[in-house]
Amino acid sequence: MRNAYIGIDVGSVSTNVVAINEQGDVLFHYYVRTNGQPIESVKKGIEQLKDHLCNNWNVAGVGTTGSGRQLAGIMVGADVVKNEITAHAVATIQFVPDVRTIFEIGGQDSKIILVKDQMVVDFAMNTVCAAGTGSFLDHQAERLGIKIEDFGKLALTAKNDVRIAGRCTVFAESDMIAKQQFGFSKAEIINGLCQALVRNYMNNLARGKKLEPPFVFQGGVAANVGIKAAFEKEIGHEVIIPQYHHVMGAIGAAILAREEVKGRRTNFRGFHALQTEFVPSSFICNGCSNMCEVIKVKVNGQTVAMWGDRCGMWQEKVKQII
Amino acid sequence: MNVTFPYMGTVIIYKKLLELLGHHVIVPPRPSQKTLDLGVKYSPEFACFPFKTIMGSYIEACELGATTIVTSGGHGPCRAGFYSEIHQRILKELGYNVDFIVFDSYFRDKERFMENVRKLKGNYSWFHVAKAIKFTFDMIRELDKLDRWIHRIKPYEKVPGLTKKVWEEIQQQFDQVTTRRELKKARKKGKKMIESIPLQEIDHEKRIRIGIVGEIYVVMEPSINMEIENVLGELGCEVERSHYLSEWINDNMLPRFLKHSDEEEILKKGEPFIEIEIGGHAKHTVGRIVDFKEKGFDGIIHLMPFGCLPELISQSVIPRISKEYDIPVLTLSLDEQTGQANNRTRIEAFIDLIRNTKLKKYTYTA
Repeated sequence: MRNAYIGIDVGSVSTNVVAINEQGDVLFHYYVRTNGQPIESVKKGIEQLKDHLCNNWNVAGVGTTGSGRQLAGIMVGADVVKNEITAHAVATIQFVPDVRTIFEIGGQDSKIILVKDQMVVDFAMNTVCAAGTGSFLDHQAERLGIKIEDFGKLALTAKNDVRIAGRCTVFAESDMIAKQQFGFSKAEIINGLCQALVRNYMNNLARGKKLEPPFVFQGGVAANVGIKAAFEKEIGHEVIIPQYHHVMGAIGAAILAREEVKGRRTNFRGFHALQTEFVPSSFICNGCSNMCEVIKVKVNGQTVAMWGDRCGMWQEKVKQII
Repeated sequence: MNVTFPYMGTVIIYKKLLELLGHHVIVPPRPSQKTLDLGVKYSPEFACFPFKTIMGSYIEACELGATTIVTSGGHGPCRAGFYSEIHQRILKELGYNVDFIVFDSYFRDKERFMENVRKLKGNYSWFHVAKAIKFTFDMIRELDKLDRWIHRIKPYEKVPGLTKKVWEEIQQQFDQVTTRRELKKARKKGKKMIESIPLQEIDHEKRIRIGIVGEIYVVMEPSINMEIENVLGELGCEVERSHYLSEWINDNMLPRFLKHSDEEEILKKGEPFIEIEIGGHAKHTVGRIVDFKEKGFDGIIHLMPFGCLPELISQSVIPRISKEYDIPVLTLSLDEQTGQANNRTRIEAFIDLIRNTKLKKYTYTA
């Protein structure tokens, strides 16, 4: 039986599951909205994966990433739990080996990663504002009554440029409403929004950095042709969108898992293990005036993980159990 | 009088000094969520993060019965110079009647400095005061040595969390010390405790050393900087800070003939980037980055309170330093809203970046 490696990326908006083979070819990819239920989404994704792989493949390693990486890692028994910046870079380097600049825009954060000789040399993540992220586009599409899938195409039909304030979501929204009242068309406003998002991204993340081609654009928002066009206009260069742009984080996690398990057995708990009930709960610790909200995950009545405490008191307790 | 002080770093030192001068000392609780909530509620919205935390600390100390606050001033065009004035007004408005004794650098206003000392000294002789100061200074020097040692070995501990526990115990023991003999004993015992921590062996070339630079309060106080030294230790990095209390006292309080300081040298290293003194620790931050690089450190984490003016300036020259000296720098801005998960991701990715670069370099040369 040949070896497959699983990568899981649990983000704020989507949960992605992929499987790759020894050579790094993608065998399976799955993208689903998290909808605030990471456990259910991961279970669903893994079930689909199981059906797809049938019994022809042996799971030799599993990695998790994304903001839900800890929880997902515990659920599946991950060999590696990695931050999304490293995971994204690893995957991009595999598909575009000479990549120098990676733009990544996800549901609730956006990042820029600079690469040299296949190594990450610098990166930045958005700081305070959601204006440069997918959720904001989602929200505006909904407000304008457009499906997010059609958003980009519609933007490309715009005849005139409209400048929309993109510094902050609140200002952008009121500016959009004002421009609507002036009589601009939906397409023009959406196009203006795409440009505002890119401008904001560049000002916020790329400030002070020297950007070199090839440029790769990935993350859920890369599906939006309007944003791609805005990027190309802003930097005056072609932007590559990789085939699996929406699941790059998961692919990176799978690649990292492959590296990690070399010469040892995987910690993967097996497909059947996902049938067990994972019960997350939280409580306020009254140990000191920090009043941390501690998150606790139970499996079959036994606590398998705890986090969220600043002092590490609860985290340590679980380590002792295991 | 019941004396208190801002909570920053190894607080047993301030406590010890004030106790030796015969005061009843009220140690404010370690800054917690409650402290921040109080501080944010009663501070001007645009005051910086240290101001707010200290505000909360003062209120908690006043609740515990403090009547006098001893603190340090700031220099240059940094808001820290205003702190005591504004804090005092806010406390007064809240109905706490407290006195402030503010120590600025001795070299700036010698008379005022001595007047403050006289206030605190009470009926003790000058000889006693000098002895007390020397004693606590020696104590903090010993503690800082152990502190540096602790964060050098933390990444290699075999039992997770043991090093942190040992450090806490050492501080408790130093807290009990009142005589020179006891100090010597505590030092010996501390050394022994650290030596007995079981460690993993690691290749010298694989060690990752991170320097922490930035504004003094967020660099020195673990409870408000996400315990960054610990976090980095757990990620496998040796850590050294740009600020230690003993150095600060050395540079700001001691008469010239008593000190041997590398402060001037460090400031000079920063001069190509920030020429003049712009307040806060901006110049110091830049100088320290260069200094850490020259000492062979692999990366720098730069901490600043959100909206801190001097550090914003150092932040904007950092890309140049980073390029010229070929050292990666990660700037983290901290305030009461800091989402920890987000910063954690940044720190992890930053360490990955450093480790990968380093390992590759290592395999190339091997």
